[in-house]
Amino acid sequence: MRTEAPRRYPVYVPKVPPTWWLQTAPFRRFAAREFTAVFAAAFSVILLLFLFALSQGKEAYEGFLRWLRLPAVVSLSSIILLAMLYHAGTWFRLTAHIQVIRVGKNDVPRGAVVAALLGIWIVVSAIVAYFYVWF
Amino acid sequence: MDRSPVAELSLGDILEDSDAREVKRRPSSARPRRESRMRQLLRPEPMFWGLFSAGGFVAALLLPITVGILGIAFAAGWLPMEALSYERIVDLVSHPLAKLYLLALVSLPLFHWAHRFRYTVHHQFGVHGLKRLIAVACYGTAIAGAALAALVLLRI
Repeated sequence: MRTEAPRRYPVYVPKVPPTWWLQTAPFRRFAAREFTAVFAAAFSVILLLFLFALSQGKEAYEGFLRWLRLPAVVSLSSIILLAMLYHAGTWFRLTAHIQVIRVGKNDVPRGAVVAALLGIWIVVSAIVAYFYVWF
Repeated sequence: MDRSPVAELSLGDILEDSDAREVKRRPSSARPRRESRMRQLLRPEPMFWGLFSAGGFVAALLLPITVGILGIAFAAGWLPMEALSYERIVDLVSHPLAKLYLLALVSLPLFHWAHRFRYTVHHQFGVHGLKRLIAVACYGTAIAGAALAALVLLRI
C-alpha cells in the first residue's frame, strides 16, 4: 500500500466486463480462433488412445475402432475437423502477417504467402492420405 | 489529507511513481552480463513459444486430413477394407520414422493448446491472478502428454 500524497488528477481506469470477447464480431472470431486449440488437444487425446489401444494388441485396437464409429464420436470428430479447418485458415493468415518474405527489395504480398501455404497444405494432405489409405 | 487504502495499483499510480524516479546509470560492475544466444533460446518463454508455433503448424497442416480420415472417412466407410487393419497399422507404426512422426503429431498440438489455453484462462475466463500456477498446469499437461505418447510409442 502506498502512503504518499493523494493523486492530483483523476485517473481513467477502463472497466472491462468478463464477457468483453462476446461484444463484437472481431472479438468473437478471436475467441473462436483461440478456442480451436482445445479441439486440437482433444484430438491429441484421441490419437493417444488410438496408440495406446494399438500397443495393447489386436482386440483392444479393434475395440477402439468400434468406439471411433459411435455416432457421438463421429460428431465430435466433425466438430474437431471444422475447428482444425478454421485454425488452418487463421494460422496461414497470421503467418503471412508475422513472417514477411522479401524478394529483392520488395515484400511478397500476403495473399501470395497464404496461397503458397494453402498449396503446401494440399500437398501435405495428399501425402498423409496416401500413407493412411494406400501405402 | 487522509487517504483511503488502495488495493491495487492503477495506471495513474504507476505513472506517478515513474515521475518520481530518477534514471541513474548502473555502475558497469553491477550490470548483468549479456546472455548468450543459446541461453536466450533455452529460457522457458522462447522455448514454449517455439513449441506453440510448431504445434500451430502441425495442427494446421496435418490435423485436418488426419481427423478427416480417422474420424470421419473411416466411420463413413469411405476407406478401403484393409486401410486400418491391425496388421497393417502395426507394420506401419513399427517404423522408427513413423514413431517420430506420431510423437510430433500428438505432442506438438498439446504444446500449442497449452500456450493458447493459458491466455484463454486469463482473457476469456477472466482469471487475472494465478499466472504462475496456470502456466505450470498448462505446460505441465503438455509435457505429461508428450511423455505418455513417447512411452506408448516405445511399447508398440
